[in-house]
Amino acid sequence: MKKLSVAGISIFLMVMAVLPHFLDSRWQAVAITFVIFSVVALSQDIILGKAGMFNMGQAMFFGMGAYATAILNSHYNWPLLATIPVAILVPVCVGILLAAPIVHLRGDYLLVVTIGFNIVFIQVLVNNLGGVTGGPNGIFGLEYLSIFGHELRSQVAVYYLAFAVLLLTLAIMLNLEKSKVGRALHYLREDPLAAESIGINTKLYKIFAFALGAGIAGLAGMVYATQYSAVSPEGFEFIQSVLFFSIVLVGGSSIPGVLLGVFVMFVLPEIFREFSTWRFFVFGFAMILTMILRPRGIWPATFGKIPKYMIKEKSHGA
Amino acid sequence: MAHNELILTDVTKRFGGLTAVDSLSMKVETGQIYGVIGPNGAGKTTIFNCITGIYRSEEGSVNWNGEEIRGMTPYQIVDRGIVRTFQTIRLFSQMSVAENVVSGRHIKSSQRWWHGICPTVGSRRDEYDNWMKVKELLEFFNLDEFAATPVSSLPYGHQRRVEMARAMAVDPTLLILDEPAAGLNDKETAELVETIFSIRDKGVTVLLIEHDMELVMKVTDYLTVLNFGKKIAEGTPDEIQKNPLVIEAYLGSEDDDE
Repeated sequence: MKKLSVAGISIFLMVMAVLPHFLDSRWQAVAITFVIFSVVALSQDIILGKAGMFNMGQAMFFGMGAYATAILNSHYNWPLLATIPVAILVPVCVGILLAAPIVHLRGDYLLVVTIGFNIVFIQVLVNNLGGVTGGPNGIFGLEYLSIFGHELRSQVAVYYLAFAVLLLTLAIMLNLEKSKVGRALHYLREDPLAAESIGINTKLYKIFAFALGAGIAGLAGMVYATQYSAVSPEGFEFIQSVLFFSIVLVGGSSIPGVLLGVFVMFVLPEIFREFSTWRFFVFGFAMILTMILRPRGIWPATFGKIPKYMIKEKSHGA
Repeated sequence: MAHNELILTDVTKRFGGLTAVDSLSMKVETGQIYGVIGPNGAGKTTIFNCITGIYRSEEGSVNWNGEEIRGMTPYQIVDRGIVRTFQTIRLFSQMSVAENVVSGRHIKSSQRWWHGICPTVGSRRDEYDNWMKVKELLEFFNLDEFAATPVSSLPYGHQRRVEMARAMAVDPTLLILDEPAAGLNDKETAELVETIFSIRDKGVTVLLIEHDMELVMKVTDYLTVLNFGKKIAEGTPDEIQKNPLVIEAYLGSEDDDE
């Protein structure tokens, strides 16, 4: 089972690593979108799937990263790659500030508050706060990626930037599983009182989950701004948050499940262009079916991730 | 000897108009197995919640090793060596036995938050040490063959042991057991007695609530008896058994003996 998943992940990564060379530019764009949205969905998985907090505002953190990049590039002429630290840090700081007073809220209450944050964020963008967000039209005409003065105009460069971000995200997620921090998130999701009573500062770890999820989403936002060389408020609407939320739920909060969800939601509509207006219908139906047939998601997260040396020899029974 | 004492002085906890615990004082000394008994609703679990920081008592003081712990959060109290189990087992039910037990290592582990993002040689070693400690505990509690089993699929008695193993993973100095024998059969109860003694022999002070009188009289060194939130008696098991007040309040007065 373990070998199977290792093989699955390596095949997936190898295919993804060579993919853009077999695609024309339209499909390259689709592939980039898939990778970016996968990263955002995985960051949502950290907050919703691992720590179990009903965050319905992930598109806000995504948008903050994108807008940080766009503003710095268009108004202050920062090279795109130089905006990466800001695109991560802004959502992280905002995430900590916003999460700190609300993480004690349970389930649906937290959900409602984060919806509110997302809507406020959009209003701020549309009303052109500080004259830098470009109002309802957003910001367009960003520069190309450039490394040491070389302009990288091809989409393949953006693809590999996105792919590197995806690899980083996957590495962080696999790492979390093997650290006390990642386990702490699972514990507080399963039973906050028991977690607290065994010595886990649940509030701190909830904020940590928010900060980490926000930072990764912000980084994805930077790639998004680079890909479209433009940002506008409708890309980060509340409905986008709903999509990421439902992808994690339907996928089952495991890495393959989340990737599958993103594929169904963002790539299938491209393949079946003529049905693309049906995608919410199809996805809604898929959600209902999943709830009935596989209540823990299409590909549920597995527990029991313990090191091999912990499992006693199989001399007597399994 | 003067240290590692838990001293409660005039602890009072009210819920609205109801006084659940009424100016209770008691003193648990190092190395004791201390029992708290009383009829249902006498406030036993409330006291445990006040000690472990889940509730904050309105009045009085909870002193541990010379430090006031009233008003601290549960994890701060765990950090000072006081760990509890729950009357209704509270395990992380979707996770395996070993993962449940390793949660107790959380506070002793040297890993910091950034190790969740980027591991180091030190954090890998720490991780290994934690799992080794868990392995040791699983053997101590006879659970080693279930390491990878999800706890929810274990029988009740085993789940009790997992919860105790999880608490012991913290390396506590005071272990608080809330009705550890509830739901156990005779054989499991007998094993529990052995386990409690061997935990004490490791140098851990044990404080327990229990309804099983036979078990209480067998294991405890000292007892406090509560009724309606008030202490009505304290003493060694022998003294308590002879105390007429206790017999009336707890064991039922002689008239309605069947």
